[in-house]
Amino acid sequence: MITEKNKKTFILKKLEDWNQVIKFMIPKLKPGMIIALSGPLGAGKTTFVQHLAKALGVKSTPRSPTFSLLRTYKVRAIHELPLRRLLHVDAYRIEHDHDLMPLNLEEELAEPGTIMALEWPENVKKWLTRQPNKKIFLKISIDKKGNRFISYSVIPAKAGI
Amino acid sequence: MSRNTSKNLRILAIETSCDETAVSLVDFTKVRNFAKIRNHTIRVIKNLVSSQIPIHQKYGGVVPEVAARSHVPEIVSLLSRVVKTPLRPPYQGGQKLPPDKGEFERASAARTGFGFDAIAVTRGPGLATALRVGIEASRVLAFLSKKPIVGVNHLEGHLASAWLNATNRKHWKFPLLALIVSGGHTELVLMKNFCDYKIVGQTRDDAAGEAFDKSAKLMGLPYPGGPQIAKLAKDGDRNAFDLPRPMLKDPSLDFSFSGLKTAVRNEWLKLFPSVIPAEAGIHPMDPRVSVRLRPRMTINDFAASIQQAIIDVLIEKTMRAAKQFTVNGILLVGGVSANEELRRQMAERIKKELTDVAFLPSDKKYVTDNAAMIAAAGYWRLMKGERHDWKKMDVDPEWNV
Repeated sequence: MITEKNKKTFILKKLEDWNQVIKFMIPKLKPGMIIALSGPLGAGKTTFVQHLAKALGVKSTPRSPTFSLLRTYKVRAIHELPLRRLLHVDAYRIEHDHDLMPLNLEEELAEPGTIMALEWPENVKKWLTRQPNKKIFLKISIDKKGNRFISYSVIPAKAGI
Repeated sequence: MSRNTSKNLRILAIETSCDETAVSLVDFTKVRNFAKIRNHTIRVIKNLVSSQIPIHQKYGGVVPEVAARSHVPEIVSLLSRVVKTPLRPPYQGGQKLPPDKGEFERASAARTGFGFDAIAVTRGPGLATALRVGIEASRVLAFLSKKPIVGVNHLEGHLASAWLNATNRKHWKFPLLALIVSGGHTELVLMKNFCDYKIVGQTRDDAAGEAFDKSAKLMGLPYPGGPQIAKLAKDGDRNAFDLPRPMLKDPSLDFSFSGLKTAVRNEWLKLFPSVIPAEAGIHPMDPRVSVRLRPRMTINDFAASIQQAIIDVLIEKTMRAAKQFTVNGILLVGGVSANEELRRQMAERIKKELTDVAFLPSDKKYVTDNAAMIAAAGYWRLMKGERHDWKKMDVDPEWNV
């Protein structure tokens, strides 16, 4: 169920503007949460994760996980959030949900203080729907002038979580 | 056994760091003075990569590419082609071995049992679940065969892929610089000696191979996109489109390719305003795309321009690093190094600007992930005296060289 309270749109004119999205999102982040990032190639999904990682106090700069499928980053306690790990998952090369099995994502996500940023969630729709976790959807689109439109929506956790 | 046995060290290597399952058997001559590189001879006996062999059929239909990373059935199949299964264990009570001989001699004596003298296996970097398959298989083999085992860094394996070539070995003089370019890696590595490396530059976002593949995808070309772009680029004008050379002006030796991806997207939209073929699921050459919109030369020019943008950045940063660290040779390794234009242009630039520097590309058969290169890197480690305890050996998914 999506209420109006759980929706918001951002317009970004340059890459630094990602910080307004991050600022808005940071207080809402909780362990076990999945941030689903959709948008065409070159939209800036990995760039968003780089900004997020920086804000969370990750030492290294996340690189594209397309080839490796999964990268894990340690989150330093420079903020009030109870977060310890950032998982960066890329389903770009995944064709079927069962291809995710070897990654043990459920177990990884269950580790204390873990949040996941997931690129190309449309490739693993079934898997994502099955997860009871709270989800944030960021849909990125670009117009011809290079302006980015980010639509933010939240799907609350299913009962029992 | 034969005289040959004691002269050579036969290494069994296993590589499962990402998509490929690979097993190899490589013979290295034992040399008194390891640093005398000219004396080394290497013979690759077996070099098996799962994607090149239709193993999948045995297990009921073709397994999709990524699912194939459940490497278990593949490694069993590959190892069964390489490892001899002894009828009885090689070390039994009655077997006599002179105690003064080294472990390699003892291992050689037991070769009749297993067909190798030492084990090298990739420990990282890579996907933990994939790496673990190779590690567990190698641990079992180390336990059964009592042969020394050593864990190898996948990137060091790529460095060693250039060493498999005899001509390269002749010109092998440290310090060396290596450009590792593949679908998952873009790194500049300074090699001060065997097993002594430093990453001096790397990508901050996408790997070079990924830039090729994703640009191809935007153009609606089938996977893998790198070779497709290279093919189209042959008949194209590389100066036709003005694409950015990201980070070229930046003083660091780092790379960035994600901005290029966005630029490719924008240029493509200018060419074909109505449709991004990849998103519509059609190829630009598809009859459904109007003829006016698909002049063949434009596609070729576009591919050539993308390829050149990537090559320019790779070569420029490599040359800069080579001058900065005054190296004696430049290695070009990894899947993208199969690109002919990259090889040709880099050789040209080195010849022109760094006359005393040797150009050392790895053989094309060893550019993509393989186990022969892991054997070579394992050989370096074993010669340095490194061993792992199979009981404690584990994966290291985030390992850097």
